[in-house]
Amino acid sequence: MKIENIKKEFPIFDEKIQNNDLVYLDSANSSQKPKVVADRINEFYTKQFSNVGRSVHYLAVAATNLYENTRSSVQKYINAKDKNEIVFTKGATEALNLVANILGQNYLKEGDEILITELEHHSNYVPWHFLRKSKNIKINFAEMNEDGEVTLEEIEKKITPKTKVVAITHLSNVTGAILPVKEITDLAHSKGILVVIDGCQGAPHLKLDMQYLDCDFYAISCHKMYGPTGLGVLYGKKKWLEELPPYQGGGGMIKEVKKDSISYGELPNKYEAGTMATAQVIAFDESIKFMESIGIENIMRHEADLVEYGQELLQKNNSVKLIGSPKNKGGVLSFTLEGIHPHDIATILDEDGIAIRAGHHCCQILHDKLNIPASARASVGIYNTKDDLDKLNDSINNCKKIFNLK
Amino acid sequence: MNLKELYQEIILEHGKNPRNLGKTDDFNKDAKGNNPLCGDNVHVYLKLNGQKIVEDISFEGSGCAISMASASIMTDLIKGKNENEAKEIVEDFLGMIKENPELKSEYLQDDEKTKLMCLSGVKQYPMRVKCATLSWHTLVSALENKKEEVKTEN
Ligand SMILES: Cc1ncc(COP(=O)(O)O)c(C=O)c1O
Repeated sequence: MKIENIKKEFPIFDEKIQNNDLVYLDSANSSQKPKVVADRINEFYTKQFSNVGRSVHYLAVAATNLYENTRSSVQKYINAKDKNEIVFTKGATEALNLVANILGQNYLKEGDEILITELEHHSNYVPWHFLRKSKNIKINFAEMNEDGEVTLEEIEKKITPKTKVVAITHLSNVTGAILPVKEITDLAHSKGILVVIDGCQGAPHLKLDMQYLDCDFYAISCHKMYGPTGLGVLYGKKKWLEELPPYQGGGGMIKEVKKDSISYGELPNKYEAGTMATAQVIAFDESIKFMESIGIENIMRHEADLVEYGQELLQKNNSVKLIGSPKNKGGVLSFTLEGIHPHDIATILDEDGIAIRAGHHCCQILHDKLNIPASARASVGIYNTKDDLDKLNDSINNCKKIFNLK
Repeated sequence: MNLKELYQEIILEHGKNPRNLGKTDDFNKDAKGNNPLCGDNVHVYLKLNGQKIVEDISFEGSGCAISMASASIMTDLIKGKNENEAKEIVEDFLGMIKENPELKSEYLQDDEKTKLMCLSGVKQYPMRVKCATLSWHTLVSALENKKEEVKTEN
C-alpha cells in the first residue's frame, strides 16, 4: 500500500467536521482507524462472536483461534522470542500498572530505588508512586536537558547501587525525543537493573525488535497504532512473567481453585484474568497487517519528513516557541505562542478543522520543569501530509491575528 | 460558531491585563479552584467587613484568555457588593452561561450586564464553559468557607 494514498483508507477523512475537512494532528493522543479495523470489529460481532477459551462449541473455538492469532502477529511484529511473552491488557496504562504491581509484590524491597525520567507520562510515574507509598520505594528522576532529551550519560549519572528498575519512555509524547533505549538497556543490564519501556509513542512510529532491544518489559497502546481502544499489549520476558506473581485474580487465570488453595494458570492466561477485549484483540490483527502492508521503514521515512518540514515551518514563524529540539525526534511538535494560552490556540485551530491537543498531555513534571502550565501539541501519523502542516501554520497565524499579535 | 463572539475585544483586553490579580492584603476568606483536565487553577481571596460587604477581592492563577478575563471581570464587579448580592450575581451568571438568554439580577447595573454578556460566547463551545465558570465557583466556595478545592465538572 502506498503511503501517498493512505488517507483514503480512513473513512473519517470523508466526513466534514463542523463543515471543514479534517486536519487531524492528534495522533500522539490516539490515531484514527482504517476501514479494515472498523469493519473487522463489526464482522466479528455480527458473524463470528463468541467468548474465547471457555466453551467447546464451534464459535468459541474459532474465536479463540482468532484471538491467539493476534498474539502471534504481535509477537512477530515486535520480534519477541516467544508467543507467551505477549500479554493483552486494557491499555498501556494497565500494562505499566501490571509491571509495577508484580515487581512490587515480589521483586522490590523496601529502600530500593526506581529511576524514571522527567519526560514520563503520568502512567509511567503514578504506578511507581504507589510503591513509594506501599513499599517505601524511592523514585529518582533523570533530568531532561535543554533540547528536551534524556541522555545515556544522564541515566548513568542517576543510577545508584540501590537502583533496581529503570522505567523510561521510548519516545517523549511532548518533546518528541527518541531515547537511546538500546544503550540504556545494555547499561542497566550490566548493573543488574531491570528495564521497563513505555513504548506508547515508540510502537506506532518506530521499528521494534524485542530480541535486539533486550528490555525486560515494553508497554504498547493499541489505539495509537491505528487499532481499537480498550486494548494494550505488555511484552515481558518469559523468565519474568513465569517467575513473578499474577496481577489480577479471576476466571481464566487459574489452574485449580479449592477452598483452601488456588493454583494459577500458565502463560499467557496467568495475566489475562476475566473476559478480555476480544473484539479489539481480533481487530488489532488488521492494524498490524495494515502497518505491515505500508512497511515500517516507509512510515518512519514519511513521518521524519513531516517533522522536519513542520519544525522548519514553525521555527520560521516568530512568536511560536517549539518545546525541545532533540537531535533524534519523532512526530511530535509541541509549542507555545507568546501571549496566547494553549487552550485558546486549540479552540481557534478547531474552528479551522484542525485537531490538536492543548494541556499538559499527562506530563506535569515536564511542564513544571519548563515553568509552563500547558502547551499546544500537533502530532503526526501516517495519514498526514505537508499540506496539513501548512494549514496548521496558517491557522496559528490566524490565532495571532485574533489576539492582535504581530 | 463564531470566534469573534468568543474573543471579543473586552475579553482579550481583560485576559491580557487582568484586574485584581494578586493576593489581597489581610484577606479573611479564600478558596482554590482547579480544572484537572487542563491544569488551570485559580485562587480567590476576599476581604469581608463586619457588614459582610466585600471590601476587597483578588485572584491568583493562570489559564486561558477566557478564564483570566472571567476572573478579572468577576472580581471587578463583586467588589463593594454584600455577600448575598454576590451569591445572587454568581447564580445569575452561571444560569446565563448554562441556559438563560440574559442576566436578571437587580444587583447588576446595565453596563455590568453588558460586560458579563461578553462571556456568553462560550455557550457555543461546551469544552470552554468550565474556563469561564471556574473562578465563579471558587468565589462561592470562598464565601462559604469550603475547605476542599473546587473542581469543575464538565
Ligand atoms: C507516553 C505515553 N504513555 C502512556 C500512555 C497511556 O496509554 P493508554 O491510553 O494505552 O493507557 C500514553 C497515551 O496517552 C502515552 O502517550
